[in-house]
Amino acid sequence: MSTNHNKIRPVYINLFQIRLPVSAISSITHRLAGIYIFFITLPLSLYLLYFSTKSYNDFMVLKDYLNNTTFLSTFVAFSFLVFAYHILTGVRHLLQDLHIGESLSASRLSSYLVFCVWFLLSVFVFTRLFT
Amino acid sequence: MIGSTLFYVQRYSATYLLAYTIWIASFLIVNNPLEYNSWTAFTNQIDFLVLTSLAAAVSIIHAFIGLWTIGTDYFTSRTLGFLSVSFSKYADTIRGAYTILFSVLGLSIFAIILLTIWS
Repeated sequence: MSTNHNKIRPVYINLFQIRLPVSAISSITHRLAGIYIFFITLPLSLYLLYFSTKSYNDFMVLKDYLNNTTFLSTFVAFSFLVFAYHILTGVRHLLQDLHIGESLSASRLSSYLVFCVWFLLSVFVFTRLFT
Repeated sequence: MIGSTLFYVQRYSATYLLAYTIWIASFLIVNNPLEYNSWTAFTNQIDFLVLTSLAAAVSIIHAFIGLWTIGTDYFTSRTLGFLSVSFSKYADTIRGAYTILFSVLGLSIFAIILLTIWS
């Protein structure tokens, strides 16, 4: 019987067949946000720093773009919200490393709390941007 | 030894970057709406230049550990195999190319940050 078992044992891991608990969703989105920050938010911040300190005219052009509903301001707002998400979930992980909120119930609660805080922050940012 | 070192470097770098982000964010909030003179005075002071250079170095180290962890977790023959069995044979090559890509990009970003702020 055990040999039959071995024959049907899967060799490759199908990541999409694993049902993730909420704390795991918090963890994997933290990683995805990290990838986004490295490839998008970090170079974007560098671009913003470069043009905002280049000259007075460049500063004013950039300020005008960011104060109005443009593609650039939406993209910047989204990129920094991803950064804020990475920070929020990251602080949650750091507190757990210090053995704060490590229990299953506390971990589930803090995952939902982080989602809620980030959602409210996103609503606040996009409301200010689009109105 | 190396595993726990990477663990602590990742946590301490995260703490530094958190403190740095709070510092920059609090300046932007206090000086809202931002004016060119106060912004350039802030970015030309020695504190900003030193702490930003350190943040640039720390963030690429933090990113390297994070991205390397993702690579070794997901770009393996086991996880790539479910997409396509032929993929799994090239897992080491794919992971190597990915590691080289983000290393080169990370070092370039680090160099450009230093060139931008110190000039």
